[in-house]
Amino acid sequence: MPQNADTTSEEKPKSSRPKSQTGEASRQWITTPQPIRRLFDKFPLRTYPVNELPQRSPRTCDRNTLWILTTEKGAQLGVPSFNPGCLKWQVYLLFKGIDFVTIPSNNHASPTGALPFLLPASSSKNSGEAVLPVPSIRIERWLREKKTMGRPSDEVSEGRKQHAEATASAKLTSTYKESVDMRYEAYMSLLNCRIRNAYLYSLYLCPPNFASIVLPCYIKPSTSNTLARLALSHQLRAAAETELLKQSPIIDVEAIYRECHKAFEALSNLLGDDKYFFGEETPGLFDASVFAYTHVLLDENLDWKHTRITEGLEQNGNLVEHQKRIMEGWFGNNPQGRTGSHEGLK
Amino acid sequence: MADPLDSGDDIFNRLKRGVDPKLQDEKTRLANERELAQFEKAQRRLGELIQDNSTLPTTISSIRILNATNTRKGFLNRIFNPIISANQDRPFTLAEAIREVSIGADKLHKLDIFHEPISLFVDRPSQTDPSTTPTDVDIYLSVVEKSRFKFKTGTDIGNAEGSAYVDGLARNVFGGAESLNVNASFGTRTRSAYQASFETPILSNPDLRWEFGGLASSTQKPWSSHEEVLKGGWTKLKWATLGGGRHEFGYNGVWRQITGLAGNASPTVRGDAGDSVKSSLMHTWVKDRRDNPQLPTRGYLSKSTLELAGWGPLQGDVAFGKAEVEAQGAIPVPIPGFHGESGISLTTGLRAGLLHPLPLGAESKSKPSRINDRFQLGGPTDVRGFRLSGLGPRDGSDALGGDVYAAGSANLLFPIPRVGKDKPFRFQIFANGGRLLALKRSKVEGTDGEKARQALSTTMAELGNGLPSMAAGFGLVYAHPVARFELNFSLPLVLRKGEDGRKGLQFGIGINML
Repeated sequence: MPQNADTTSEEKPKSSRPKSQTGEASRQWITTPQPIRRLFDKFPLRTYPVNELPQRSPRTCDRNTLWILTTEKGAQLGVPSFNPGCLKWQVYLLFKGIDFVTIPSNNHASPTGALPFLLPASSSKNSGEAVLPVPSIRIERWLREKKTMGRPSDEVSEGRKQHAEATASAKLTSTYKESVDMRYEAYMSLLNCRIRNAYLYSLYLCPPNFASIVLPCYIKPSTSNTLARLALSHQLRAAAETELLKQSPIIDVEAIYRECHKAFEALSNLLGDDKYFFGEETPGLFDASVFAYTHVLLDENLDWKHTRITEGLEQNGNLVEHQKRIMEGWFGNNPQGRTGSHEGLK
Repeated sequence: MADPLDSGDDIFNRLKRGVDPKLQDEKTRLANERELAQFEKAQRRLGELIQDNSTLPTTISSIRILNATNTRKGFLNRIFNPIISANQDRPFTLAEAIREVSIGADKLHKLDIFHEPISLFVDRPSQTDPSTTPTDVDIYLSVVEKSRFKFKTGTDIGNAEGSAYVDGLARNVFGGAESLNVNASFGTRTRSAYQASFETPILSNPDLRWEFGGLASSTQKPWSSHEEVLKGGWTKLKWATLGGGRHEFGYNGVWRQITGLAGNASPTVRGDAGDSVKSSLMHTWVKDRRDNPQLPTRGYLSKSTLELAGWGPLQGDVAFGKAEVEAQGAIPVPIPGFHGESGISLTTGLRAGLLHPLPLGAESKSKPSRINDRFQLGGPTDVRGFRLSGLGPRDGSDALGGDVYAAGSANLLFPIPRVGKDKPFRFQIFANGGRLLALKRSKVEGTDGEKARQALSTTMAELGNGLPSMAAGFGLVYAHPVARFELNFSLPLVLRKGEDGRKGLQFGIGINML
């Protein structure tokens, strides 16, 4: 608002007025003449302080928040998500030493329609400025931008500082390497197609698992109403089916499991006797992606009734070791006690 | 009336000139007057006749409804059987009989299945029929049934929303004045809405009705960056009391989804996204004594709404008690020295609401309210001079709504010169304001009940803290029979930081404006 307009009120069209200001003003009040504008600027006559927010409004805007599928209690304890898509980014952020809290949420909350997403801490103290959510596909870019901003120390919590320091040197080079490695792409597709297909089938289309895992984890927390639960169950099953039918005209159960078992074998061969994939000293995004599935399949708190896919995984001892290593390293022995269970589900 | 003829030559000139329009008008006027006088005389004679015979003992031997081919006999019997003399222990007087029959005819009107007017004939049965008594009369009611099916399609533009709709109404579905209403609309804001409802009078009583229905809709809520998808149903009983109050009591079950969030949706809206089922009992009471609902000059309206959700056996995902009251009054303002109605009127309105969380089902703790249960305030139909949902707590650009609100307005309406007070146009000056607050967090330690009471009392205290958020202005009002249109110029006077006042022109369309 041109405040100095009041001081030059004698003659309106003063030639000495800066051009840019008139331009800006005319954009705001397209047809309002100057004296009326000045009158408008006097209103409101009185402004009181801001209204208090409702009780349900989240108040952790000073920390990064990762919105994932988890339980209320799980979020407090920081336990791994029961959803591979969410767990992948949860553990990846831990690898990168980012300080964040998890918030239990559902897909409707996400800007992309699928969890997870990250809501960065509002860096500047002016709370009026909205912070845009970072969907999972842009988390890596966000990490890179954050790194180039170069203020790692105040964002990293004490508990995970040593991890961050350990990885700091290798971080830049490793992400770079990961993305150019041809093998990386090939193995990633193994994970995103074959293992995911078997996982989708086993979880959603295999009724015992649907009842023992999907119902308590995904559907019951959404609503307590039986009819709404039925509708949601139907939607989830239909979505899994269309997802599988996208890749082949029919759902061949035997082939799905066979390919999944082969994929686990291939991953096992790739890992070999190394600590982490691709011979790295520190885990990267690929380790996070593998862990996301292996943990969900091996988690004792999830009650897999139909275990064919898990049996295939357990034949590859090094993959199981890999899962244990990450679990102990990033969820097991930290000061907040990240051990916990999905107790709330049962 | 014949014009006097002066001379024979004149006649041709006159014929050539044609008929003087003034004379023609005069003629029709006189003819009308004569007819009216005759009609009045006939009416008076009839009135006198009835008056003279008002105490004449009368027994109604039969009532026949003519042309009600699609209406069930049993349904009509329930209305008229009680007044047939065979069911009365004493004979009527003529006046009583006519009154009883017109009460019955009035019920037929209210059922909304017959065209108005319903004609009434009284006949004496032939005295040669041995089964009749000398006091017997037969009553004939001649009705014309309204068409059983009505289809309407159209477009609507209003409240910054454009929409197209299809509306289907089936009247008198089973011959008992049951109606089935099916409605589908598609718009820019209400993306899609489907609704079907079935209503039937109970025991042929037009003042006691039962309704049930279902809906599925998807509505954009740009003021809080989301889209709400609803699927649900309701059933309710509606009745009218003798004092003119109308009651509704019913059950609602709705599955709500907050979805389709905008990219810049605030954390609060993101936190409330997802599914919730509301299962609630609701009661509304309305008493409308205004002379015109869109442009009242005298009278009052009072309304209350109570809703109880999720408590005890109701289940669902949300639990709260919600109460809302509304009062509106209008008085004509006389001008000193001016005789009769000046056309100037003052209307004042007051609304208030409270939402209080309750423990869900058998749980012991209550959960805070969600965005789709909280009240929204502000906009051209309630607190003018603010944007839609412009009052109350905000997170970023999102209006989050509040648990407690109070709003009031005063409008002074003047007839527009040259248009006159009888036309539905007015010039108005108004001032209105309100507060919308979220329940505060309790800071005391103690039991849940104590905490809740403390939170409520501090919130109530905050309601009176400082001036309410206010705006004032002037504008034009047009009262169409179905909705009121307003074009106002207004400026916000008092605001809370972050509240969205609107300076300048604002256009509003509403059915129930504050």
